[in-house]
Amino acid sequence: MTFPDFTLIAPQLIVLAAALLVPGLYFLTKNDKLAGMVSLAAVVASGLYLGWMMLEGVEGSFLGVYAVDDFSLLLTGLFLIVALLVLLASLKSVERDRHHGEYYALLLAATAGMMFVACAEDLIGIFVGVELTSISSYALVAFRKNDPRAAEAAVKYLVIGGLSTALTLYGFSLLYGVTQTTSLAGIALAIGSAPSAALYISMAMLIAGLGFKITTVPFHMWAPDVYEGATAPVATFLAVGSKKMGFVALFKVFLIGFVAAQATVVSDMQYLFAVLAAITMTVGNIVALSQTNMKRLLAYSSIAQAGYLMMVLAIATEYAVIGGLFHMITHVFMKGGAFIIVAALCYISMGEKLSDYKGLAKRAPILAFSMLIFLFALAGVPPLAGFVSKFVLFSSAVGSPGAEFGGQWIWLVFVAVINSAISLYYYARVVKYMYVDEAETEERIKVPMSFMAAIVLCLVAVIAIGLYPEPVIKLCEAAAAALLA
Amino acid sequence: MIPLEMFLGLSAILFAIGAYGVLTKKNGIVVLMCIELMLNAANINFIAFAAFFNDVAGQVFVIMAIAVAAAEVAVGVAILLNLYKTSGTTDLEEINVLRW
Repeated sequence: MTFPDFTLIAPQLIVLAAALLVPGLYFLTKNDKLAGMVSLAAVVASGLYLGWMMLEGVEGSFLGVYAVDDFSLLLTGLFLIVALLVLLASLKSVERDRHHGEYYALLLAATAGMMFVACAEDLIGIFVGVELTSISSYALVAFRKNDPRAAEAAVKYLVIGGLSTALTLYGFSLLYGVTQTTSLAGIALAIGSAPSAALYISMAMLIAGLGFKITTVPFHMWAPDVYEGATAPVATFLAVGSKKMGFVALFKVFLIGFVAAQATVVSDMQYLFAVLAAITMTVGNIVALSQTNMKRLLAYSSIAQAGYLMMVLAIATEYAVIGGLFHMITHVFMKGGAFIIVAALCYISMGEKLSDYKGLAKRAPILAFSMLIFLFALAGVPPLAGFVSKFVLFSSAVGSPGAEFGGQWIWLVFVAVINSAISLYYYARVVKYMYVDEAETEERIKVPMSFMAAIVLCLVAVIAIGLYPEPVIKLCEAAAAALLA
Repeated sequence: MIPLEMFLGLSAILFAIGAYGVLTKKNGIVVLMCIELMLNAANINFIAFAAFFNDVAGQVFVIMAIAVAAAEVAVGVAILLNLYKTSGTTDLEEINVLRW
Protein backbone atom coordinates (compact mmCIF):
# COMPACT_ATOMS: atom_id res chain seq x y z
CA MET A 1 0.00 0.00 0.00
CA THR A 2 1.34 3.39 -0.97
CA PHE A 3 1.37 6.23 1.49
CA PRO A 4 -1.61 8.57 0.89
CA ASP A 5 -0.88 12.07 -0.41
CA PHE A 6 -1.67 14.29 2.55
CA THR A 7 -0.85 17.46 0.62
CA LEU A 8 -4.25 17.11 -1.07
CA ILE A 9 -6.08 17.86 2.16
CA ALA A 10 -3.45 20.22 3.56
CA PRO A 11 -5.83 23.23 3.80
CA GLN A 12 -8.12 21.21 6.06
CA LEU A 13 -5.20 19.83 8.06
CA ILE A 14 -3.79 23.33 8.69
CA VAL A 15 -7.14 24.47 10.12
CA LEU A 16 -7.51 21.29 12.20
CA ALA A 17 -3.96 21.61 13.55
CA ALA A 18 -4.69 25.18 14.59
CA ALA A 19 -7.91 24.02 16.27
CA LEU A 20 -5.82 21.67 18.42
CA LEU A 21 -3.01 24.17 18.99
CA VAL A 22 -5.05 27.22 20.01
CA PRO A 23 -6.55 25.92 23.30
CA GLY A 24 -3.15 24.67 24.45
CA LEU A 25 -1.54 27.97 23.58
CA TYR A 26 -4.27 29.86 25.38
CA PHE A 27 -3.93 27.63 28.43
CA LEU A 28 -0.18 28.32 28.60
CA THR A 29 -0.20 32.06 27.90
CA LYS A 30 -3.72 33.20 28.93
CA ASN A 31 -3.44 35.69 26.07
CA ASP A 32 -6.76 36.05 24.24
CA LYS A 33 -5.30 38.28 21.48
CA LEU A 34 -2.72 35.62 20.69
CA ALA A 35 -5.39 32.90 20.38
CA GLY A 36 -7.37 35.03 17.96
CA MET A 37 -4.34 35.96 15.90
CA VAL A 38 -3.10 32.37 15.62
CA SER A 39 -6.57 31.30 14.41
CA LEU A 40 -6.62 34.11 11.89
CA ALA A 41 -3.11 33.22 10.73
CA ALA A 42 -4.10 29.57 10.29
CA VAL A 43 -7.12 30.49 8.15
CA VAL A 44 -5.03 32.84 6.03
CA ALA A 45 -2.25 30.25 5.63
CA SER A 46 -4.78 27.63 4.64
CA GLY A 47 -6.29 30.07 2.16
CA LEU A 48 -2.90 30.87 0.65
CA TYR A 49 -2.13 27.18 0.21
CA LEU A 50 -5.57 26.71 -1.34
CA GLY A 51 -4.90 29.61 -3.73
CA TRP A 52 -1.67 27.92 -4.77
CA MET A 53 -3.56 24.65 -5.37
CA MET A 54 -6.08 26.52 -7.54
CA LEU A 55 -3.34 28.19 -9.60
CA GLU A 56 -1.47 24.92 -10.05
CA GLY A 57 -4.70 23.13 -10.93
CA VAL A 58 -4.08 20.35 -8.40
CA GLU A 59 -6.46 17.40 -8.74
CA GLY A 60 -6.62 14.02 -7.10
CA SER A 61 -8.31 11.73 -4.64
CA PHE A 62 -7.35 11.11 -1.03
CA LEU A 63 -8.03 7.41 -0.28
CA GLY A 64 -11.25 7.61 -2.32
CA VAL A 65 -12.90 9.59 0.47
CA TYR A 66 -11.88 13.16 -0.33
CA ALA A 67 -11.56 14.42 -3.89
CA VAL A 68 -9.76 17.58 -4.93
CA ASP A 69 -11.19 19.22 -8.05
CA ASP A 70 -12.47 22.63 -9.16
CA PHE A 71 -15.71 22.20 -7.22
CA SER A 72 -14.12 21.26 -3.90
CA LEU A 73 -11.43 23.94 -4.24
CA LEU A 74 -14.01 26.68 -4.85
CA LEU A 75 -16.23 25.60 -1.95
CA THR A 76 -13.28 25.10 0.41
CA GLY A 77 -12.19 28.61 -0.42
CA LEU A 78 -15.69 29.95 0.21
CA PHE A 79 -15.80 28.29 3.64
CA LEU A 80 -12.39 29.77 4.47
CA ILE A 81 -13.75 33.21 3.59
CA VAL A 82 -16.69 32.57 5.94
CA ALA A 83 -14.23 31.60 8.69
CA LEU A 84 -12.16 34.71 8.04
CA LEU A 85 -15.20 37.01 8.29
CA VAL A 86 -16.47 35.32 11.46
CA LEU A 87 -13.02 35.42 13.08
CA LEU A 88 -12.66 39.13 12.32
CA ALA A 89 -16.07 39.74 13.87
CA SER A 90 -15.22 37.53 16.86
CA LEU A 91 -11.92 39.17 17.83
CA LYS A 92 -13.72 41.98 19.66
CA SER A 93 -17.09 40.34 20.32
CA VAL A 94 -15.70 37.74 22.71
CA GLU A 95 -13.12 39.89 24.46
CA ARG A 96 -15.33 40.34 27.54
CA ASP A 97 -16.04 36.59 27.77
CA ARG A 98 -13.90 33.86 29.24
CA HIS A 99 -12.60 30.69 27.51
CA HIS A 100 -11.27 32.25 24.30
CA GLY A 101 -9.14 29.24 23.51
CA GLU A 102 -12.15 26.96 23.38
CA TYR A 103 -14.14 29.46 21.31
CA TYR A 104 -11.53 29.71 18.57
CA ALA A 105 -10.87 25.97 18.65
CA LEU A 106 -14.57 25.19 18.14
CA LEU A 107 -14.83 27.76 15.36
CA LEU A 108 -11.82 26.30 13.56
CA ALA A 109 -13.04 22.72 14.02
CA ALA A 110 -16.43 23.67 12.60
CA THR A 111 -14.69 25.29 9.63
CA ALA A 112 -12.59 22.19 9.03
CA GLY A 113 -15.78 20.09 9.03
CA MET A 114 -17.32 22.28 6.34
CA MET A 115 -14.14 22.07 4.28
CA PHE A 116 -14.16 18.28 4.53
CA VAL A 117 -17.76 18.17 3.30
CA ALA A 118 -16.78 20.34 0.35
CA CYS A 119 -14.37 17.71 -0.94
CA ALA A 120 -16.06 14.50 0.26
CA GLU A 121 -16.73 11.89 -2.40
CA ASP A 122 -18.09 9.26 -0.04
CA LEU A 123 -21.04 9.15 2.37
CA ILE A 124 -18.67 8.59 5.30
CA GLY A 125 -16.79 11.77 4.45
CA ILE A 126 -20.03 13.76 4.24
CA PHE A 127 -21.39 12.35 7.50
CA VAL A 128 -18.25 12.95 9.55
CA GLY A 129 -17.77 16.45 8.13
CA VAL A 130 -21.36 17.48 8.76
CA GLU A 131 -21.20 16.17 12.34
CA LEU A 132 -17.86 17.83 13.08
CA THR A 133 -19.46 21.13 12.14
CA SER A 134 -22.77 20.45 13.91
CA ILE A 135 -21.35 19.32 17.24
CA SER A 136 -18.88 22.21 17.32
CA SER A 137 -21.66 24.66 16.60
CA TYR A 138 -23.92 23.30 19.39
CA ALA A 139 -21.16 24.23 21.80
CA LEU A 140 -20.58 27.56 20.07
CA VAL A 141 -24.25 28.51 20.45
CA ALA A 142 -24.01 27.72 24.18
CA PHE A 143 -20.78 29.70 24.47
CA ARG A 144 -22.21 32.52 26.61
CA LYS A 145 -23.38 29.95 29.09
CA ASN A 146 -24.70 32.25 31.80
CA ASP A 147 -27.13 33.86 29.38
CA PRO A 148 -30.49 32.04 29.63
CA ARG A 149 -31.27 32.85 26.00
CA ALA A 150 -28.06 31.20 24.83
CA ALA A 151 -28.74 28.15 27.03
CA GLU A 152 -32.23 27.79 25.59
CA ALA A 153 -31.09 28.32 22.00
CA ALA A 154 -28.37 25.68 22.44
CA VAL A 155 -30.85 23.10 23.76
CA LYS A 156 -33.22 23.73 20.86
CA TYR A 157 -30.38 23.50 18.37
CA LEU A 158 -29.08 20.32 20.02
CA VAL A 159 -32.42 18.49 19.94
CA ILE A 160 -33.24 19.54 16.37
CA GLY A 161 -29.68 18.86 15.24
CA GLY A 162 -29.65 15.43 16.87
CA LEU A 163 -32.94 14.53 15.21
CA SER A 164 -31.59 15.65 11.85
CA THR A 165 -28.43 13.58 12.39
CA ALA A 166 -30.51 10.50 13.15
CA LEU A 167 -32.70 10.99 10.06
CA THR A 168 -29.67 11.57 7.86
CA LEU A 169 -27.84 8.52 9.17
CA TYR A 170 -30.90 6.30 8.70
CA GLY A 171 -31.27 7.66 5.17
CA PHE A 172 -27.60 6.90 4.48
CA SER A 173 -28.01 3.36 5.82
CA LEU A 174 -30.94 2.66 3.47
CA LEU A 175 -29.04 4.28 0.61
CA TYR A 176 -26.15 1.92 1.35
CA GLY A 177 -28.55 -1.00 1.41
CA VAL A 178 -30.05 -0.12 -1.97
CA THR A 179 -26.82 0.73 -3.78
CA GLN A 180 -24.36 -1.58 -1.96
CA THR A 181 -21.81 1.22 -1.94
CA THR A 182 -21.00 4.33 0.05
CA SER A 183 -19.33 6.15 -2.83
CA LEU A 184 -21.25 9.09 -4.29
CA ALA A 185 -20.54 7.99 -7.86
CA GLY A 186 -22.36 4.70 -7.27
CA ILE A 187 -25.24 6.44 -5.52
CA ALA A 188 -25.63 8.90 -8.41
CA LEU A 189 -26.03 5.94 -10.78
CA ALA A 190 -28.79 4.48 -8.58
CA ILE A 191 -30.67 7.79 -8.21
CA GLY A 192 -30.38 8.36 -11.95
CA SER A 193 -31.87 4.96 -12.83
CA ALA A 194 -35.36 3.69 -11.98
CA PRO A 195 -35.70 4.15 -8.20
CA SER A 196 -37.17 1.54 -5.84
CA ALA A 197 -39.46 2.11 -2.85
CA ALA A 198 -36.55 1.83 -0.40
CA LEU A 199 -34.66 4.48 -2.35
CA TYR A 200 -37.65 6.82 -2.08
CA ILE A 201 -37.80 6.31 1.69
CA SER A 202 -34.10 6.98 2.05
CA MET A 203 -34.31 10.10 -0.11
CA ALA A 204 -37.24 11.37 1.97
CA MET A 205 -35.19 10.79 5.16
CA LEU A 206 -32.24 12.67 3.67
CA ILE A 207 -34.41 15.58 2.55
CA ALA A 208 -35.81 15.85 6.09
CA GLY A 209 -32.42 15.38 7.78
CA LEU A 210 -30.43 17.75 5.62
CA GLY A 211 -33.51 20.00 5.31
CA PHE A 212 -33.06 20.86 8.98
CA LYS A 213 -29.53 22.03 8.23
CA ILE A 214 -30.54 24.24 5.30
CA THR A 215 -33.72 25.49 7.06
CA THR A 216 -36.27 24.21 4.58
CA VAL A 217 -39.86 24.88 5.61
CA PRO A 218 -41.28 22.92 7.56
CA PHE A 219 -37.93 22.19 9.23
CA HIS A 220 -37.00 25.85 9.76
CA MET A 221 -38.49 26.73 13.15
CA TRP A 222 -35.22 26.42 15.06
CA ALA A 223 -33.28 28.93 12.98
CA PRO A 224 -34.68 32.27 14.24
CA ASP A 225 -34.53 31.11 17.87
CA VAL A 226 -30.96 29.90 17.57
CA TYR A 227 -29.74 32.96 15.67
CA GLU A 228 -31.32 35.21 18.27
CA GLY A 229 -29.91 33.31 21.25
CA ALA A 230 -26.39 32.85 19.88
CA THR A 231 -23.83 35.65 19.77
CA ALA A 232 -23.95 37.55 16.51
CA PRO A 233 -20.66 36.17 15.07
CA VAL A 234 -21.85 32.61 15.75
CA ALA A 235 -25.19 33.44 14.12
CA THR A 236 -23.20 34.70 11.12
CA PHE A 237 -21.35 31.42 11.01
CA LEU A 238 -24.56 29.36 11.14
CA ALA A 239 -26.39 31.47 8.58
CA VAL A 240 -23.72 31.74 5.94
CA GLY A 241 -21.47 28.78 6.76
CA SER A 242 -23.17 25.69 8.06
CA LYS A 243 -26.23 26.26 5.88
CA LYS A 244 -24.05 26.28 2.76
CA MET A 245 -22.52 23.03 3.98
CA GLY A 246 -26.00 21.44 4.04
CA PHE A 247 -26.51 22.56 0.46
CA VAL A 248 -23.17 21.14 -0.63
CA ALA A 249 -24.08 17.79 0.94
CA LEU A 250 -27.51 17.80 -0.78
CA PHE A 251 -25.93 18.74 -4.12
CA LYS A 252 -23.41 15.93 -3.79
CA VAL A 253 -25.97 13.27 -2.93
CA PHE A 254 -28.84 14.22 -5.23
CA LEU A 255 -27.78 16.53 -8.01
CA ILE A 256 -25.37 14.32 -9.90
CA GLY A 257 -28.01 11.62 -10.34
CA PHE A 258 -30.75 14.12 -11.22
CA VAL A 259 -28.69 15.81 -13.91
CA ALA A 260 -27.55 12.50 -15.39
CA ALA A 261 -31.16 11.34 -15.66
CA GLN A 262 -32.45 14.69 -16.94
CA ALA A 263 -32.24 13.63 -20.58
CA THR A 264 -34.81 10.88 -20.10
CA VAL A 265 -36.99 11.50 -17.05
CA VAL A 266 -37.69 14.21 -14.53
CA SER A 267 -37.49 12.56 -11.13
CA ASP A 268 -40.52 12.87 -8.81
CA MET A 269 -38.07 14.13 -6.23
CA GLN A 270 -37.39 17.17 -8.37
CA TYR A 271 -41.07 18.13 -8.16
CA LEU A 272 -40.87 17.68 -4.39
CA PHE A 273 -37.86 20.00 -4.26
CA ALA A 274 -39.68 22.53 -6.46
CA VAL A 275 -42.67 22.60 -4.11
CA LEU A 276 -40.41 22.80 -1.03
CA ALA A 277 -38.45 25.63 -2.63
CA ALA A 278 -41.62 27.61 -3.39
CA ILE A 279 -43.01 27.10 0.14
CA THR A 280 -39.68 27.88 1.81
CA MET A 281 -39.12 31.19 0.05
CA THR A 282 -42.74 32.29 0.54
CA VAL A 283 -42.94 31.43 4.24
CA GLY A 284 -39.51 32.95 4.92
CA ASN A 285 -40.39 36.24 3.24
CA ILE A 286 -43.91 36.57 4.62
CA VAL A 287 -42.93 35.89 8.24
CA ALA A 288 -40.00 38.27 7.88
CA LEU A 289 -42.46 41.09 7.16
CA SER A 290 -43.63 41.23 10.79
CA GLN A 291 -40.27 40.87 12.56
CA THR A 292 -39.08 43.54 14.97
CA ASN A 293 -35.73 41.99 15.93
CA MET A 294 -32.94 42.45 13.40
CA LYS A 295 -31.41 39.02 13.96
CA ARG A 296 -34.78 37.29 13.49
CA LEU A 297 -35.46 39.35 10.39
CA LEU A 298 -32.16 38.26 8.91
CA ALA A 299 -32.89 34.67 9.97
CA TYR A 300 -36.18 34.62 8.08
CA SER A 301 -34.58 36.32 5.12
CA SER A 302 -31.97 33.61 5.08
CA ILE A 303 -34.72 30.97 5.14
CA ALA A 304 -36.09 32.68 2.04
CA GLN A 305 -32.64 32.61 0.44
CA ALA A 306 -32.49 28.87 1.15
CA GLY A 307 -35.70 28.60 -0.89
CA TYR A 308 -34.05 30.33 -3.86
CA LEU A 309 -31.06 27.99 -3.61
CA MET A 310 -33.31 24.92 -3.48
CA MET A 311 -34.49 25.79 -6.99
CA VAL A 312 -31.19 24.32 -8.14
CA LEU A 313 -32.23 20.87 -6.91
CA ALA A 314 -35.56 21.17 -8.75
CA ILE A 315 -34.23 22.43 -12.07
CA ALA A 316 -31.11 20.26 -11.97
CA THR A 317 -29.19 21.42 -15.02
CA GLU A 318 -25.56 22.45 -15.24
CA TYR A 319 -26.70 26.05 -15.79
CA ALA A 320 -28.74 25.88 -12.57
CA VAL A 321 -25.73 24.54 -10.64
CA ILE A 322 -23.67 27.48 -11.90
CA GLY A 323 -26.40 29.86 -10.74
CA GLY A 324 -26.65 28.10 -7.38
CA LEU A 325 -22.92 28.22 -6.71
CA PHE A 326 -22.79 31.86 -7.77
CA HIS A 327 -25.67 32.74 -5.46
CA MET A 328 -24.00 30.86 -2.60
CA ILE A 329 -20.85 32.96 -3.07
CA THR A 330 -22.66 36.29 -3.22
CA HIS A 331 -24.92 35.29 -0.32
CA VAL A 332 -21.86 34.82 1.90
CA PHE A 333 -20.88 38.46 1.37
CA MET A 334 -24.38 39.98 1.49
CA LYS A 335 -25.74 38.10 4.49
CA GLY A 336 -22.33 37.89 6.16
CA GLY A 337 -21.90 41.64 5.88
CA ALA A 338 -25.37 42.37 7.25
CA PHE A 339 -24.89 40.01 10.20
CA ILE A 340 -21.47 41.46 11.00
CA ILE A 341 -22.95 44.96 11.16
CA VAL A 342 -25.48 43.59 13.66
CA ALA A 343 -22.55 42.03 15.56
CA ALA A 344 -20.67 45.33 15.58
CA LEU A 345 -23.71 47.19 16.90
CA CYS A 346 -24.28 44.51 19.56
CA TYR A 347 -20.65 44.93 20.62
CA ILE A 348 -21.14 48.61 21.37
CA SER A 349 -24.38 47.57 23.13
CA MET A 350 -26.77 49.20 20.69
CA GLY A 351 -29.43 46.49 21.00
CA GLU A 352 -30.73 44.41 18.13
CA LYS A 353 -34.31 45.70 17.81
CA LEU A 354 -35.27 47.42 14.58
CA SER A 355 -36.21 50.53 16.54
CA ASP A 356 -32.64 50.69 17.88
CA TYR A 357 -31.51 51.38 14.32
CA LYS A 358 -33.38 54.69 14.14
CA GLY A 359 -31.28 57.47 12.72
CA LEU A 360 -28.27 55.23 12.23
CA ALA A 361 -27.38 57.14 9.05
CA LYS A 362 -26.52 60.23 11.11
CA ARG A 363 -24.78 58.36 13.90
CA ALA A 364 -22.70 56.01 11.75
CA PRO A 365 -22.87 56.94 8.05
CA ILE A 366 -20.53 54.22 6.82
CA LEU A 367 -22.26 51.43 8.73
CA ALA A 368 -25.69 52.59 7.58
CA PHE A 369 -24.55 52.83 3.97
CA SER A 370 -23.00 49.34 4.11
CA MET A 371 -26.20 47.94 5.59
CA LEU A 372 -28.18 49.61 2.80
CA ILE A 373 -25.95 48.02 0.17
CA PHE A 374 -26.14 44.55 1.76
CA LEU A 375 -29.93 44.65 2.17
CA PHE A 376 -30.54 45.91 -1.37
CA ALA A 377 -28.13 43.26 -2.66
CA LEU A 378 -30.13 40.60 -0.79
CA ALA A 379 -33.32 41.92 -2.38
CA GLY A 380 -31.65 41.77 -5.79
CA VAL A 381 -31.35 45.44 -6.73
CA PRO A 382 -28.99 46.06 -9.67
CA PRO A 383 -26.08 46.64 -10.06
CA LEU A 384 -25.19 44.77 -6.85
CA ALA A 385 -23.95 41.19 -6.58
CA GLY A 386 -27.30 39.80 -5.47
CA PHE A 387 -28.94 40.96 -8.69
CA VAL A 388 -26.44 39.21 -10.94
CA SER A 389 -26.50 35.92 -9.03
CA LYS A 390 -30.30 35.88 -8.78
CA PHE A 391 -30.46 36.65 -12.50
CA VAL A 392 -28.27 33.66 -13.37
CA LEU A 393 -30.13 31.40 -10.94
CA PHE A 394 -33.65 32.37 -12.04
CA SER A 395 -32.85 32.42 -15.75
CA SER A 396 -31.66 28.81 -15.50
CA ALA A 397 -35.30 27.79 -15.03
CA VAL A 398 -36.49 29.57 -18.15
CA GLY A 399 -33.84 28.53 -20.56
CA SER A 400 -33.35 25.13 -18.99
CA PRO A 401 -33.77 21.59 -20.26
CA GLY A 402 -34.13 20.19 -23.75
CA ALA A 403 -37.10 20.90 -25.98
CA GLU A 404 -39.37 18.22 -24.52
CA PHE A 405 -39.32 19.71 -21.02
CA GLY A 406 -38.98 23.36 -22.00
CA GLY A 407 -40.46 25.84 -19.59
CA GLN A 408 -41.92 23.52 -16.99
CA TRP A 409 -40.26 25.42 -14.19
CA ILE A 410 -41.50 28.85 -15.31
CA TRP A 411 -44.01 28.90 -12.44
CA LEU A 412 -41.16 28.49 -9.97
CA VAL A 413 -39.46 31.58 -11.38
CA PHE A 414 -42.71 33.53 -11.02
CA VAL A 415 -42.89 32.56 -7.36
CA ALA A 416 -39.25 33.51 -6.86
CA VAL A 417 -39.57 36.90 -8.55
CA ILE A 418 -42.72 37.79 -6.61
CA ASN A 419 -40.89 36.77 -3.44
CA SER A 420 -37.99 39.04 -4.30
CA ALA A 421 -40.46 41.90 -4.56
CA ILE A 422 -41.97 41.04 -1.17
CA SER A 423 -38.52 40.90 0.39
CA LEU A 424 -37.73 44.39 -0.84
CA TYR A 425 -40.50 45.68 1.44
CA TYR A 426 -38.94 44.54 4.71
CA TYR A 427 -35.41 45.40 3.63
CA ALA A 428 -36.63 48.88 2.73
CA ARG A 429 -38.29 49.12 6.15
CA VAL A 430 -34.88 48.73 7.80
CA VAL A 431 -33.48 51.38 5.47
CA LYS A 432 -36.34 53.71 6.42
CA TYR A 433 -35.49 53.27 10.10
CA MET A 434 -31.85 54.09 9.39
CA TYR A 435 -32.27 57.01 7.00
CA VAL A 436 -35.67 58.64 7.57
CA ASP A 437 -36.39 58.29 11.28
CA GLU A 438 -34.79 60.55 13.84
CA ALA A 439 -32.49 59.08 16.48
CA GLU A 440 -32.97 59.75 20.17
CA THR A 441 -29.34 60.78 20.46
CA GLU A 442 -27.01 62.29 17.89
CA GLU A 443 -24.01 60.65 19.48
CA ARG A 444 -21.58 59.27 16.88
CA ILE A 445 -20.85 55.54 16.91
CA LYS A 446 -17.32 54.24 16.67
CA VAL A 447 -16.78 50.62 15.69
CA PRO A 448 -13.49 48.72 16.23
CA MET A 449 -11.16 48.18 13.28
CA SER A 450 -11.61 44.41 13.05
CA PHE A 451 -15.34 44.80 12.44
CA MET A 452 -14.72 47.52 9.87
CA ALA A 453 -12.20 45.28 8.06
CA ALA A 454 -14.79 42.49 7.72
CA ILE A 455 -17.55 44.90 6.66
CA VAL A 456 -15.40 46.65 4.07
CA LEU A 457 -14.30 43.27 2.70
CA CYS A 458 -17.95 42.28 2.19
CA LEU A 459 -18.86 45.70 0.81
CA VAL A 460 -16.09 45.63 -1.79
CA ALA A 461 -17.00 42.07 -2.77
CA VAL A 462 -20.72 42.85 -3.15
CA ILE A 463 -20.10 45.89 -5.34
CA ALA A 464 -17.20 44.40 -7.33
CA ILE A 465 -19.03 41.15 -8.11
CA GLY A 466 -22.09 43.17 -9.11
CA LEU A 467 -20.17 45.34 -11.55
CA TYR A 468 -17.79 42.73 -12.91
CA PRO A 469 -19.13 39.18 -12.37
CA GLU A 470 -17.30 37.36 -15.19
CA PRO A 471 -14.34 35.96 -13.19
CA VAL A 472 -16.62 34.55 -10.49
CA ILE A 473 -18.99 33.04 -13.07
CA LYS A 474 -15.97 31.43 -14.77
CA LEU A 475 -14.99 29.83 -11.43
CA CYS A 476 -18.56 28.60 -10.93
CA GLU A 477 -18.67 27.16 -14.45
CA ALA A 478 -15.50 25.18 -13.83
CA ALA A 479 -16.83 24.02 -10.45
CA ALA A 480 -20.19 22.92 -11.86
CA ALA A 481 -18.47 21.02 -14.64
CA ALA A 482 -16.25 19.28 -12.08
CA LEU A 483 -19.22 18.38 -9.85
CA LEU A 484 -21.17 16.83 -12.71
CA ALA A 485 -18.21 15.22 -14.47
CA MET B 1 -28.83 -17.55 8.86
CA ILE B 2 -31.34 -14.99 10.05
CA PRO B 3 -32.85 -13.29 6.97
CA LEU B 4 -32.06 -9.64 6.29
CA GLU B 5 -35.70 -8.58 6.68
CA MET B 6 -35.58 -9.42 10.39
CA PHE B 7 -32.76 -6.96 10.99
CA LEU B 8 -34.43 -4.26 8.93
CA GLY B 9 -37.70 -4.81 10.81
CA LEU B 10 -35.92 -4.55 14.16
CA SER B 11 -34.16 -1.35 13.15
CA ALA B 12 -37.38 0.16 11.75
CA ILE B 13 -39.17 -0.54 15.05
CA LEU B 14 -36.28 0.95 17.06
CA PHE B 15 -36.24 3.99 14.81
CA ALA B 16 -39.99 4.47 15.20
CA ILE B 17 -39.80 4.19 19.01
CA GLY B 18 -37.00 6.74 19.05
CA ALA B 19 -38.84 9.15 16.76
CA TYR B 20 -42.00 8.83 18.86
CA GLY B 21 -40.00 9.62 21.99
CA VAL B 22 -38.31 12.67 20.46
CA LEU B 23 -41.68 14.08 19.44
CA THR B 24 -43.60 13.40 22.67
CA LYS B 25 -41.20 13.39 25.64
CA LYS B 26 -40.70 16.56 27.65
CA ASN B 27 -37.51 15.78 29.53
CA GLY B 28 -34.39 16.81 27.59
CA ILE B 29 -32.35 13.84 28.81
CA VAL B 30 -35.01 11.38 27.64
CA VAL B 31 -35.15 13.10 24.26
CA LEU B 32 -31.37 12.71 23.99
CA MET B 33 -31.72 8.98 24.77
CA CYS B 34 -34.40 8.64 22.08
CA ILE B 35 -32.07 10.23 19.54
CA GLU B 36 -29.48 7.60 20.51
CA LEU B 37 -32.08 4.91 19.81
CA MET B 38 -32.61 6.32 16.32
CA LEU B 39 -28.87 6.44 15.65
CA ASN B 40 -28.47 2.84 16.79
CA ALA B 41 -31.34 1.77 14.54
CA ALA B 42 -29.32 3.12 11.61
CA ASN B 43 -26.23 1.31 12.90
CA ILE B 44 -28.12 -2.02 12.91
CA ASN B 45 -29.07 -1.38 9.29
CA PHE B 46 -25.46 -0.73 8.34
CA ILE B 47 -24.16 -3.84 10.10
CA ALA B 48 -26.89 -6.04 8.63
CA PHE B 49 -26.24 -4.78 5.11
CA ALA B 50 -22.48 -5.05 5.55
CA ALA B 51 -22.75 -8.68 6.69
CA PHE B 52 -25.20 -9.45 3.92
CA PHE B 53 -23.09 -7.85 1.15
CA ASN B 54 -19.78 -9.05 2.63
CA ASP B 55 -18.64 -5.43 2.35
CA VAL B 56 -16.53 -3.70 4.97
CA ALA B 57 -17.63 -0.12 4.21
CA GLY B 58 -20.80 -0.47 6.26
CA GLN B 59 -18.88 -1.57 9.33
CA VAL B 60 -16.47 1.35 8.98
CA PHE B 61 -19.50 3.65 8.81
CA VAL B 62 -20.84 2.20 12.08
CA ILE B 63 -17.57 2.81 13.90
CA MET B 64 -17.63 6.42 12.72
CA ALA B 65 -21.29 6.76 13.71
CA ILE B 66 -20.66 5.42 17.22
CA ALA B 67 -17.81 7.89 17.72
CA VAL B 68 -19.99 10.75 16.48
CA ALA B 69 -22.89 9.70 18.72
CA ALA B 70 -20.59 9.63 21.76
CA ALA B 71 -19.33 13.14 20.99
CA GLU B 72 -22.88 14.35 20.50
CA VAL B 73 -23.99 12.98 23.87
CA ALA B 74 -20.97 14.51 25.60
CA VAL B 75 -21.79 17.96 24.24
CA GLY B 76 -25.53 17.39 24.64
CA VAL B 77 -25.45 16.49 28.31
CA ALA B 78 -23.20 19.46 29.01
CA ILE B 79 -25.67 21.77 27.27
CA LEU B 80 -28.62 20.30 29.19
CA LEU B 81 -26.69 20.63 32.46
CA ASN B 82 -26.09 24.27 31.61
CA LEU B 83 -29.80 24.73 30.90
CA TYR B 84 -30.55 23.22 34.30
CA LYS B 85 -28.13 25.66 35.93
CA THR B 86 -29.58 28.74 34.25
CA SER B 87 -33.29 27.93 34.35
CA GLY B 88 -33.62 25.17 36.95
CA THR B 89 -35.35 22.71 34.63
CA THR B 90 -34.64 20.23 31.85
CA ASP B 91 -38.26 20.27 30.71
CA LEU B 92 -38.29 21.28 27.05
CA GLU B 93 -41.82 22.68 27.23
CA GLU B 94 -40.95 25.16 29.93
CA ILE B 95 -38.22 26.93 27.99
CA ASN B 96 -39.87 29.59 25.87
CA VAL B 97 -38.00 32.86 26.20
CA LEU B 98 -37.38 32.84 22.46
CA ARG B 99 -40.39 32.71 20.19
CA TRP B 100 -41.56 34.20 16.89
